[in-house]
Amino acid sequence: MTPPWRINEVLDRAETGPICLERDFDLKVLVPKLKDVIRQYEIKFDPENLVPSDDSLADELWEAALDFYLEVGTLCTSTHRRMLFDENEIREAMKNFPGRYTLGYGKDSREMCHRKIEDSRRPFCLFSPDITCDEELFIPMSMAYLQEPLADGVCAPILEEVEGRSIKAGAPYETKGAIAHAMMFREAARRVGRPGIFLQGVGTAQSDAAQIAASNPMWGERLTDGRFVASISELKVDHSLLNKMVHFHQYGSFVGALTGPMLGGYCGGPEGTAVVGMAYHIQGLMVNQAHYLNYFPIHIKHMHNTTGELLWGISLVYQALARNTPLISLSNGFAAAGPCTSMVLYEAAAHGLTSVVSGANLWEIAVARNKYKNRATPMEARMACEIGCGAAESGIKRAEANELVKKIVSKYENQVPEAPLGKMFQECYDAKKVMPTREYAELYGTVKRELFDLGVPFAY
Amino acid sequence: MNEPNGQELENRLGLEMPVERLKKAVINGHEQDAERAAHEILEAGTDPMLVMERELFPTIKSVGEKFEKGEFFLTDLMSAADAMRAASRVLAGSIKEGSKGKITTTRIGNIVIGTVSGDIHDIGKNIVALLLEVNGFDTHDLGKDVESMKFIERAGEVQADIMALSALMTTTKPAQKEIMDLLKEMDMHKKFLVIIGGAPTTSEWAEQIGADGWAETAEQGVKLAQKLIKGR
Repeated sequence: MTPPWRINEVLDRAETGPICLERDFDLKVLVPKLKDVIRQYEIKFDPENLVPSDDSLADELWEAALDFYLEVGTLCTSTHRRMLFDENEIREAMKNFPGRYTLGYGKDSREMCHRKIEDSRRPFCLFSPDITCDEELFIPMSMAYLQEPLADGVCAPILEEVEGRSIKAGAPYETKGAIAHAMMFREAARRVGRPGIFLQGVGTAQSDAAQIAASNPMWGERLTDGRFVASISELKVDHSLLNKMVHFHQYGSFVGALTGPMLGGYCGGPEGTAVVGMAYHIQGLMVNQAHYLNYFPIHIKHMHNTTGELLWGISLVYQALARNTPLISLSNGFAAAGPCTSMVLYEAAAHGLTSVVSGANLWEIAVARNKYKNRATPMEARMACEIGCGAAESGIKRAEANELVKKIVSKYENQVPEAPLGKMFQECYDAKKVMPTREYAELYGTVKRELFDLGVPFAY
Repeated sequence: MNEPNGQELENRLGLEMPVERLKKAVINGHEQDAERAAHEILEAGTDPMLVMERELFPTIKSVGEKFEKGEFFLTDLMSAADAMRAASRVLAGSIKEGSKGKITTTRIGNIVIGTVSGDIHDIGKNIVALLLEVNGFDTHDLGKDVESMKFIERAGEVQADIMALSALMTTTKPAQKEIMDLLKEMDMHKKFLVIIGGAPTTSEWAEQIGADGWAETAEQGVKLAQKLIKGR
């Protein structure tokens, strides 16, 4: 359970690596090397194979990403230095990576493992709304997610206000908000009878100070919980992020790396997004010494990852991870449509199926372009995870999954720019009884039957 | 094999006109080629003002359109803007020296832009800044994690028409409101138009804090700025 690498050596790289200005890193280091490896390793998006079955493609992606990351490294924007690692160091860190952890405690603890392609073991399913909510909805919404039978872990909604005051990054009310978030989330877990469930925190806190303030085994973030260190797009960190990393490791929590390469940004197209996505996994291990990674490649304009050009990369990254590393990663869906729409359930289905058959664990699911307060329910995550678990247990192969995914994606891909926002949590979920409304329950049943008839595997 | 047309023949013989090479260098994002072509344009005695107005700015605008359509990626846009700036420096320098006039006709507004305090994300803001620039705005990019008061100070210094505030995090979004509150408290809210954007922002939020407009995408941001300037 110890951190997989050496913390001081990581921090030293941020102080002693080659000097590089941020714009030079983006345009003169990262982009040219990315174009080189895409050409050299012949990485090419294939819209007919969103879930590719050719193992050599996955291995090429791994080689390309390793080659890329060895040369580019990670930029520390606070010191303007590149943190570089050599191949032996990366191999050493991978060799010593445990590949499985027990998260949470007692009867509610669950194992999170490195998974293989077409693995028959259930994925670790983390349920998360990934969105802000009204202060009074924080506990009901958290309870709604926590009581989901397939949830192995949960991440809470995010507070915008605490005690009626606006939470602003770096200001004292952010610290208060982070503390309130941690306290209320644990209360919600106790109220659903799962006090030991793995809780991922603390989305309300952006700054290092507020994150650190929420660490407390009595009332706040526990050692059995998980904490995130994000990255700045693309492949950058700063002192604030490294401060969090140092604290989380020394405190003793599990550390996740939060990474979302942007399709249409510095990565360019699907190929570059996949290479950078794979490189983020190496960075997560080397810079953050992460126990697991949350991976959400995302469309820069529509804030989703459920169409072909992104699902292809998600599949390939997870296949490359499964075949070439012992790393653990959760595939985080981002849907364009909102709750209580057929489209969001199709998007969740495509993301869950693609991810799990390729070797991922699941983190489901941001919806409504991850933008609108209160606009998420556990129903969307339930769809993705029922299918994810079904895919694992059914033994479905990549080729078959590919045909299903293409059929599902064709139902909504043209609607992404104008995707329906659906309803808010309190409009399609009874916030007092913590139950979906009849309307949403029936819609869920209808879509589930339709997908089942199409051949999509479900856990039950 | 087909007979080459005049343009192809010129290209093969290295006789391509400097103006064409300038346009090509901008589209391909080749900074040094653009600079070289700009010097050659001056040496040939071509009016630099006309080149900028009729060739350079429409070319960079076409690059912006290709980005909007998804035909170009962000890095293509950034490289093209760098090439345009390099050529502009050469051509504009000559205009000043030659006293042939000022480059004012195509610049349609003055914008201070940045990512608000506490927020370290800037890709979206960078895209908006570039698209504003290629569409004829003078942009003053303050970068990321910009203190609220710095926006106001800088906007005053450059006599900005518009302040564009980006926020990517729900916890940094309140800084947009802080700037609006400061402007009101300092009785400066009528001096600048304020537009906001970023992943967690919405039109409702813009209305709530008293901003003059909100845009979901970079392209919408440019259209919004154009509309606000026209209505001023």
